[in-house]
Amino acid sequence: MTDYLLIQALNGVVIGIIYAVIAAGLTVIFSILKVVNFAHGEVFMMGGYFAYFAISLAGVPPLPAILVAMAISFIMSIAIERTLLTPLYSPTIERKGDYGILITFGISIFLRNLALIIYGPYPLRPPSFWSGALVIGGLIMTWDRVFAGAAGILMLVGLVLFMNRTAWGEALNAVSQSRESAAIVGIDDQRFYMLAFGLGGALAGGAGALVGPIYSLSPSMGLLPDTQAFAIVILGGMGSVGGSIIAGLMIGVAESMFVALFPDPSRSLTYAQAFSLLVLMVVLLIRPTGFFGRVHTAME
Amino acid sequence: MRALLAVGAAVLAALVLGFPYLVNAYWLSVGVLAIFYAIVAASWALLAGYAGQFSFGHMAFVSLGAYTSGLLVVSFGVPIPLGIAAGIVMCALVGSGIGFVCLRMRGPYLALFTVAFSEVLRIVIVSENEVTGGSGGLEVPPMFHIKSDMPYYYLGLVLLGASLAIMLALVHSRWGLFFRAIRENEEAAAASGVKVVRFRIIAFAISSSFAGLAGGFFGHYIAILTPDIGSVDQMGLVVAMAVIGGAESIVAVTIGALGLEFLVEALRSYGQWRLVLFGALLLLTMRFARNGLLALGWEYAKAILPLSLWEGVGGRGRGLNMTNPSPSPRSASQPEPTRGGGVS
Repeated sequence: MTDYLLIQALNGVVIGIIYAVIAAGLTVIFSILKVVNFAHGEVFMMGGYFAYFAISLAGVPPLPAILVAMAISFIMSIAIERTLLTPLYSPTIERKGDYGILITFGISIFLRNLALIIYGPYPLRPPSFWSGALVIGGLIMTWDRVFAGAAGILMLVGLVLFMNRTAWGEALNAVSQSRESAAIVGIDDQRFYMLAFGLGGALAGGAGALVGPIYSLSPSMGLLPDTQAFAIVILGGMGSVGGSIIAGLMIGVAESMFVALFPDPSRSLTYAQAFSLLVLMVVLLIRPTGFFGRVHTAME
Repeated sequence: MRALLAVGAAVLAALVLGFPYLVNAYWLSVGVLAIFYAIVAASWALLAGYAGQFSFGHMAFVSLGAYTSGLLVVSFGVPIPLGIAAGIVMCALVGSGIGFVCLRMRGPYLALFTVAFSEVLRIVIVSENEVTGGSGGLEVPPMFHIKSDMPYYYLGLVLLGASLAIMLALVHSRWGLFFRAIRENEEAAAASGVKVVRFRIIAFAISSSFAGLAGGFFGHYIAILTPDIGSVDQMGLVVAMAVIGGAESIVAVTIGALGLEFLVEALRSYGQWRLVLFGALLLLTMRFARNGLLALGWEYAKAILPLSLWEGVGGRGRGLNMTNPSPSPRSASQPEPTRGGGVS
């Protein structure tokens, strides 16, 4: 039993890292564009399929396919941002918040159902990054999960370094604090809206590519990670990458433990899906600004 | 001109009333579904378009109303009308509850909370399959034991007419003004004496009740309830219908929902494209014609037809005239988001 719980906890850590990657993308988008992206889970789903087709059609090896998926997700996100989100920055548009909600919700419906037609409703499973499993004593973990966790950590470290150590990251931070002041010091905010949305999409797409071999790909796979990512982002504080990482791990482990310890095993899987939703609802009720949020990124 | 209008109205009324005699059984069932969607979309527009509360849990209330009524009828032998009434009461109660707990939330937070609520309800319905039948569905008795859909059509028309009459009376009353004041700016509304808390809860309760009514009607028409009624995709369909029609006018939303349901059935050989098409239309409408395609069409018609023709019908355009010629004082004087205020 303790072995089982430990394995579940480790699985939870891996899932938590992937959640953290998705959530970090969401929070980058939110802190710059001030829009809660309801289509984030669908970019995640698309990323999984991009990797799958990069492997099966173009013959890319599984690991570089993650990078391919991130690149295509980046481009797709920028295309979405340029065509549909520009009214968010226009001073003549009324009630931008409502526009952001409806337009991203519309994008999510569109992408999910488009995927249903293009890819079909049946789950697809990309090949493993590395077959077999890591065995240490009584602990077993497939290499796919080990790789996914490691790659997720790399993405998060890369994101944190990018945000804190590069000029572009500093500029993103500046735009997130004040669009006007950033414009005054010569930062072209349009470019950084593009960059932020593309970066968020790339992270989501990369996460999608990582979960592909662990679970399978299906057009509706974005629905739950989307709400889970929201739960994480709100728990960790909107706009706080570090908060997302901590909250992602918390949610991932808590969810695995919930599955392991739920008294009725026949229902534990379906109720596990409700778990993060309930966390989201409770956090929204008790502390909508999250626990690590920065004041300037709080919703207006 | 007035005579022309009167004739037009009479022809329209005759078409609507005689619809079951003009079409085959298939299109009649489409008509019933269109009426169902019209009630749902109009009541969502009341909440989102008028009161500005973007709830994505509206289909969850439809599902709640349908399951409440269905379970009461199946398990306790309650008469169907009583079951539907119980569904409405249930939705009003849960709706005011959701409205109450969401008081601190705005915009996207409210949207998130209601999505989560809707998914939790769906998951509970799927999981508690001993009671609800789970994904396999719950068979409920139909309202009329007759093969034709005709009685459903006329009942639906009555329900739609009554719902629209109540909602239109509401939005043209002081309450409707309060709703719109809350939508535009909650602080300003509160400062002008609008009881924001009370009216946000009222908006949720009323709108959810109509969703419950539609749900009960739908359940006892379709005779099998599945958890998918409350899915996010169904919600997307309703949002698309409302936004494409023009979410800030109940009449436009109704016309939009009726029209789109028929359009989609006409294109039914592309059945799986339904939500893609609606999603794309929703995006295009939001991007280029935020007041809805009907308002756009109305403006266009006014522009190309001789002006004198419209003088007699000045009153009719009011419901659709939603263009905002100038930015609101809020966006003009306050270009920056407020800082540090949290979401309270």
